[in-house]
Amino acid sequence: MRHQNQNRSDGPVKIVPAIEHNPAPRLRDRQSVRLGSLGVFLRARPERLREWMLCRQLNLMVLCAVAIVIGAGIYGAVMGSWRGPWQALYTGIKLPLAILLTTLGNGLLNGMLAPLLGINLTFRQSLSAVLMSFAVASVVLGALSPVAWFVVWNTPPLTAAMRLSSPEYGVMQLTLAGFLALAGVVGNAHLLPLLSEWARSVSTARKVLFAWLVGNLFLGSQICWVLRPFIWDPSRPVEFIGREYFHGSFFETVFEAARRLIFQ
Amino acid sequence: MNNQNPIPPIPPQVPPPIPPVMPASGPRSLGDDPAERAAIPNIIVAIEAILRQPRRVMFQLRQPGAGWLIAAMLFVSVLCSLMYGVVAGTFSGGTQLWAAPVKIAAGLMISALICLPSLYIFTCLGGSQARLVEVSGLLAGLLMLMTILLIGFAPVAWIFSQSTESLAWMGTLHLIFWFIATVFGLRFLETGFSHSNARSLTGFRTWVVIFMLVALQMTTALRPILGTSKTFLPTEKKFFVAHWGDCLKGHDEASKSESQ
Repeated sequence: MRHQNQNRSDGPVKIVPAIEHNPAPRLRDRQSVRLGSLGVFLRARPERLREWMLCRQLNLMVLCAVAIVIGAGIYGAVMGSWRGPWQALYTGIKLPLAILLTTLGNGLLNGMLAPLLGINLTFRQSLSAVLMSFAVASVVLGALSPVAWFVVWNTPPLTAAMRLSSPEYGVMQLTLAGFLALAGVVGNAHLLPLLSEWARSVSTARKVLFAWLVGNLFLGSQICWVLRPFIWDPSRPVEFIGREYFHGSFFETVFEAARRLIFQ
Repeated sequence: MNNQNPIPPIPPQVPPPIPPVMPASGPRSLGDDPAERAAIPNIIVAIEAILRQPRRVMFQLRQPGAGWLIAAMLFVSVLCSLMYGVVAGTFSGGTQLWAAPVKIAAGLMISALICLPSLYIFTCLGGSQARLVEVSGLLAGLLMLMTILLIGFAPVAWIFSQSTESLAWMGTLHLIFWFIATVFGLRFLETGFSHSNARSLTGFRTWVVIFMLVALQMTTALRPILGTSKTFLPTEKKFFVAHWGDCLKGHDEASKSESQ
């Protein structure tokens, strides 16, 4: 039997299997990867989202940024409308700003954590993925804006008797925060299948998602602390951002409150 | 050699019959039944269809020109809610005979409008292929089915309205009727979405909670619907739980003063 020796050496032929690390999907006809409308984006399966991240990254990032500005902007305006029109304008700017600053501020960190934890994403791809989850959350917030407006409309208006501890204000605050939490959960639930698709492993995807969440929550809570108030500050007139908001941090305040509660 | 025991002839091999192709498990596709493909020409047929052939309504909502059907369903919803409102208004009489129907009809339509964007977004996120027109049509179907069922409860509500003077009891009774009617309407909506290739109905179920809360709050925002008031709309803003608490407290105080 004659051995065919492909490499002209005297040894036997070694057949080395090709190892593909996250092979790029076939670049199909551009028509099939069009982003199309918001409905197409929201319904897209993880494989399609991955194709867009590879083939239409700039379009995707622009769509996500626009969705964040419009969706979160409308919701922010509704949040601030209880205080007055100027607060509505300021919160309509601050909420999308907080989201975009958190995404950009953690862009480098998220881009490094992903490959360290097992998903081979570039910096731009990790930025796209995080932007996508925030875009989905912002679209949900935008869709819930009429409901949020209805809740705000039903809350007694701001009067001299209104306090931060007033139950009506508490219900409105909890409802608005609850919608934010719901939108965040939906956005992250949308991201997990995409990361699983990319990593080909659900446990790796969960690790990366958890790491991104911790980082985003950490930075995001401080950015929101600096940009507050979003609804109302009884001790200040309406302003975009006050000088004293740069003093202290969210976590120091939470720590002090917990310390007073436990040890008093 | 003679063969004393001849081998019996082997019968020709008949291949086993091919079993019929069984349809895949899951809901039948809309339009499979020819009866579902029959167009809905008028309002009476629409009412019959939503009660007896809801799949026909769902199929017709996907066809071109579904706008007419949606408008008809909304018209029926408004008409039925006005009629039920008159029955509700007979409890107090007077201005409530026109104020209650207006508030019930307007409140229902505004609640649906407030919740429509979130319904579309949540169902898109669940993978549903339904377009905004179809989603609007399914929501109109929910309203129509809900209000038709309320008309069914109207005679019962009227009898109690004439028998009792307890505002808390009548309010509770109307809420129970509304809840039962809404459950059937939501069942129609959920079935409609299950035919739209939705991967998950979790978002839809979250929306159901939001819709119920908005509708309950709307009853408080437009109060009074059963009782009397000097103004058409309330001057004080309240959440529905606080309002119910106040109504029950007022009911308890009235009972105590009567017994004394």
